[in-house]
Amino acid sequence: MGVTLDSLWLGFSVALQPAVLWYAFIGCLVGTLVGVLPGIGPLAGISILLPITFGLNATNAIVMLAGIYYGSQYGGSTTSILLRIPGEASSVMTCIDGNAMARKGRAGAALCIAAVGSWIAGTFGVIVLTLIAPPLATLALKFGPPEYTALLTVGLVFLAYMSTSSLVRTLLMASLGLLLGMIGIDPLSGHFRYSFDIPELGDGIGIVPVAVGLFGLGEILSTPSRQVTGEVIRPKLRELWPNREEWRQSGWPIARGTVMGFLIGIIPGSAHIISSFLSYAVEKKISKHPEEFGKGAVAGVAGPESANNAASTGAFVPMLALGIPTGPVTAVLMAALMIHGVPPGPTLVNDHPQVFWGFIASMYVGNLMLLALNLPLVGLFVNLLRIPYAYLYPLIIMFCVIGVYEVAHSIVDVWIMLIMGVVGYALKKFNFDPAPLVLGLVIAPIFEMSLRQSLIMSDGNWLIFLQRPIALVLMIVCAGLLAASAVSAITARRDWRAKLAEEVKE
Amino acid sequence: MTLRSDHVAGAAFIAFGILVFALSGDLPFGRLSAPGVGMMPKLLLVVMIAFGVALVIGAAASQPFAEIEWSDRTHALLLVAITGVAVTLYTTLGFIVTMTLLVFTLLTVVERKPVLHAAAYSIGLTATAWWVFGKALKAPLETGILGF
Repeated sequence: MGVTLDSLWLGFSVALQPAVLWYAFIGCLVGTLVGVLPGIGPLAGISILLPITFGLNATNAIVMLAGIYYGSQYGGSTTSILLRIPGEASSVMTCIDGNAMARKGRAGAALCIAAVGSWIAGTFGVIVLTLIAPPLATLALKFGPPEYTALLTVGLVFLAYMSTSSLVRTLLMASLGLLLGMIGIDPLSGHFRYSFDIPELGDGIGIVPVAVGLFGLGEILSTPSRQVTGEVIRPKLRELWPNREEWRQSGWPIARGTVMGFLIGIIPGSAHIISSFLSYAVEKKISKHPEEFGKGAVAGVAGPESANNAASTGAFVPMLALGIPTGPVTAVLMAALMIHGVPPGPTLVNDHPQVFWGFIASMYVGNLMLLALNLPLVGLFVNLLRIPYAYLYPLIIMFCVIGVYEVAHSIVDVWIMLIMGVVGYALKKFNFDPAPLVLGLVIAPIFEMSLRQSLIMSDGNWLIFLQRPIALVLMIVCAGLLAASAVSAITARRDWRAKLAEEVKE
Repeated sequence: MTLRSDHVAGAAFIAFGILVFALSGDLPFGRLSAPGVGMMPKLLLVVMIAFGVALVIGAAASQPFAEIEWSDRTHALLLVAITGVAVTLYTTLGFIVTMTLLVFTLLTVVERKPVLHAAAYSIGLTATAWWVFGKALKAPLETGILGF
């Protein structure tokens, strides 16, 4: 504990430097804007702004980009509550009761509960992250190729198991992403794969064009401006403070959402989205007045908003400690660190303590900044919502093009983004979630390398994954999850995931 | 039999898998003790085709293909076409000209906004973006044959 506190002290000495504070503020502000504005999520926001960080040092870059991520979770609630349009996918559940509260004249209270819940959850998440990431990183130093292969396999199966769409659809998307990750030069043999004599494809397909295409452009293609209409409810500043009863009703949902969100955040998948859906379902289930849900229940705002913030912090645990992304956003953040010559993973805490602890300390500061930003400045953000969508999306398309082109000054990347936009549009029509595709693309090189190295180590014996203790445990977890999915599929029993999917549809 | 969305999606993945498999002929599979460059892609293609088949088999639970909402297709097609033209011209005309034209065309052709409004907005927006990215953030923006 003493070592952790010393390290955290080092982190604060980095995070409180004026430059780091400035980039944390910029990240939080941009994140809030990204969350507030419909049609642009944290992934597209981070990807578009990634090139801007090239001139910064690694600490400033990761502090700013992470600020965009957790800032967007705060900002997403504003649009949901005031406009009934989720500014961010994880704020879908907040639309229901948040907007109902707003229509009852309690918009300010809903915003305040969402912001305070987000702050409590974010801060709790950072405290737990502080405590568990370093020991987990030490454990991960014992991992060899078989352990990494097993861990990534468990990650993919977890992703499919936790998904609210079917196992087949999720794994199909993940395998498509893995396949896209095979494009380019094979690092072991130097052989070109699927590059079709296009030199730019030799380095493979970048995550930024794929992510911006699928999540940025794809969203805009399927959202004609005539569909984005809505009445913005403008809260008065003096109405921001909830009354005593509203505080009482939000206490336990915030606590449950925080713990649940953090635990789900550690697991691969669209954790911040799933956590808010689960939190809403749990609050409705255990409420003494479930009939109030949908009509302005305070717990329907407090729980999901806390859960999605805690999950976004939890997602940093495997990223920082194991070097494994749990979702597309952490994958882009990992790419950002690698661009700056800082490989995320078990060696990060020892090799780059200033980056690791500076980043963690900046999250304590960032959460306070977001609380200060989101309540007093809510009027400003409401005004942004009045910009007609017809004028907003050309701006987003422009940012998509600039963001993708500036990463490598490659027009091929921009074409890939455009193609991925069309793919994202089509996937949406056929109810596929593109998140596993991006995750597959990111883990493809590590997965292939560790699998091939494992097979070479064992002289082609697949049993190597069952002969090493850590890999064996991971494989047993994997088999358990597959068995659980198979049982519910064979018996056609509606398990918690099917029920959750129904809640989402409703 | 009603054609359902998962029939179409599953068939598309199967066809894509077979096509990529056919393109993978020159990638050696190797042996288990010395995996070749083609091993992982070919395994993934087999998995993808298998999942595609599973999707087709379980398609009865999906919505009928005819019920998929395509009312936004004109909007999507126009956006892709206009952005495609902008991407083609980007390295030739440079950031300022291409982006101004992109935003102006989107506003006038897709959104039917008045020409003067659209012109003012697209010029103002591009100028602001040029200043923010090019000057304040020092990102090297593309200059075209016109020199800016």
